Amino acid sequence: MSIIRDVIRNLLSKPITIEYPRKLTPIEKDFRGRHYADLKKCTGCSLCAIECPSNCISMEKLPENIKLRHNPRGLYPNINYMSCVFCYRCVKVCPVNAYITTNEYRLSSVKEVYSKELTIQTVG
Amino acid sequence: MESEAAEKATSLIKIPITLEIPIGPQHPAIHEPVLLKVYADGEEVVGVDIGTGYNHRGVEKLLENNTFYKDKFITSRICGICNTVHENCFVRAVEYISGMEPSARARYLRVLVMELERIHSHMLINAIMAEIIGFDTLFMYIMRDRELVMKAKEIVSGGRVLAEFHMFGGVRRDIDDVKKEKILDILKKLEPRLKYYRRLFEEDPTITKRLMEIGILRPRDVVSHGMVGPILRGSGVKSDVRAEDRYDAYNEVPFNVIVKGEGDSLARMLVRWDEALESLEMCRYILEHLPSGSAVVDERKLPRVFPAGESFARVEAPRGELTYYIQHIKGDKPYRVKVRTPSFNNIINSGFSYLRHSIADVPVILVSYDPCISCMERAIVVDLKNGTEKKVTFRDIAMGKVRLR
Repeated sequence: MSIIRDVIRNLLSKPITIEYPRKLTPIEKDFRGRHYADLKKCTGCSLCAIECPSNCISMEKLPENIKLRHNPRGLYPNINYMSCVFCYRCVKVCPVNAYITTNEYRLSSVKEVYSKELTIQTVG
Repeated sequence: MESEAAEKATSLIKIPITLEIPIGPQHPAIHEPVLLKVYADGEEVVGVDIGTGYNHRGVEKLLENNTFYKDKFITSRICGICNTVHENCFVRAVEYISGMEPSARARYLRVLVMELERIHSHMLINAIMAEIIGFDTLFMYIMRDRELVMKAKEIVSGGRVLAEFHMFGGVRRDIDDVKKEKILDILKKLEPRLKYYRRLFEEDPTITKRLMEIGILRPRDVVSHGMVGPILRGSGVKSDVRAEDRYDAYNEVPFNVIVKGEGDSLARMLVRWDEALESLEMCRYILEHLPSGSAVVDERKLPRVFPAGESFARVEAPRGELTYYIQHIKGDKPYRVKVRTPSFNNIINSGFSYLRHSIADVPVILVSYDPCISCMERAIVVDLKNGTEKKVTFRDIAMGKVRLR
């Protein structure tokens, strides 16, 4: 038994590799990708920041122009995606299901990336 | 006459008969950071010193300083390839302390993820073996087909490599009928490929000439050196934690323990291919006989603090028997977590098996043990006050000669 027959067949077929980033990698809808807090639901309880195994969530003050009745302390979670391990512990432990999950996996960057802008966008 | 010459001699010239060759910790033939100090007489290996410690991360100390819930995610990072079995072992040890019982569906899903992981782990080491012996084409093909398993794991758990699937008292995700069909479809595509590679390893002259009768381990040597996993089964010793402990759903899912008696590198690789095929059948059985009911546990309702106690759990990782010992006194952090990984036994005790082989066979023998160095690095005692390090034997620790605290 030899591998040569298989090699010849594969030489004549199209390549199996994907030309990333020209073509996107096929990914599942519920892949654990980029996630961020929804300010319409978040109460600023800080449970996600306490429970995070990689300590990548910091609770920050809301901008002064945003006042939310359900968030009396005015805090929201800011995720550092560069140190996040995407275990989704924050998503599962949130008492009000405030996290929006996506399957976005293209997060490589030369500088630190935070969820701040995405989270602020959810209100208003 | 000779004794007379020896008495008159004024100097002695020593001619070394052995040559010391360091292989690793960074070496093209070895993918793991381990140092094999090989002493060679010509081409023949006459001695091997195994040096470890290049990947020590202090994981056990980290586990003691974090809560059980954070520890669950840290344990799955001890080893990337077999992350689910580490999770499973830790979660089960904590469940034994707290008295939690996962549902039948959760137990089936746990086994599904672990068996998918076993398939891709065995495919990976077989691919690396093909690369080590210079068969790069086969390496590419196996890695291509391994992507199918990674996709199946992504469908089940949401992550290609790190599953993060277990939680105390259940699992974190469930699968529906659409996902089930997708995975069954993948398994259908995968089965002929696994059978093809298995036949190739058995019959291809390039592979058999390179692996057959290399690194033969007799059953007596394997048992006396405490080796575990496919190495044990490749030498004709029938031992599998899945069959002995019947943890999770292994008492309900039918499977055979693969044993081969030859004891050489080829037998170990063929045991892995057969186990991968067996795991594939198990996955198919689980998907077809998945019990109904709830599997996902609500993480918000789990207890913060667990009762005091100690527990011991073991699991059959792709590389062999993996054990966790947890001691818990009070609060939300464990007092002590002891991890013993299969590579710890298999690599550190394997020095005797390289003897009387040629230098070119050393990487082949090492890879046939499926080394996972990041798993096993945790045996140095550091004195924090003086800043000194020393290595101690486990015997001294067990006899109480060394005080660790």
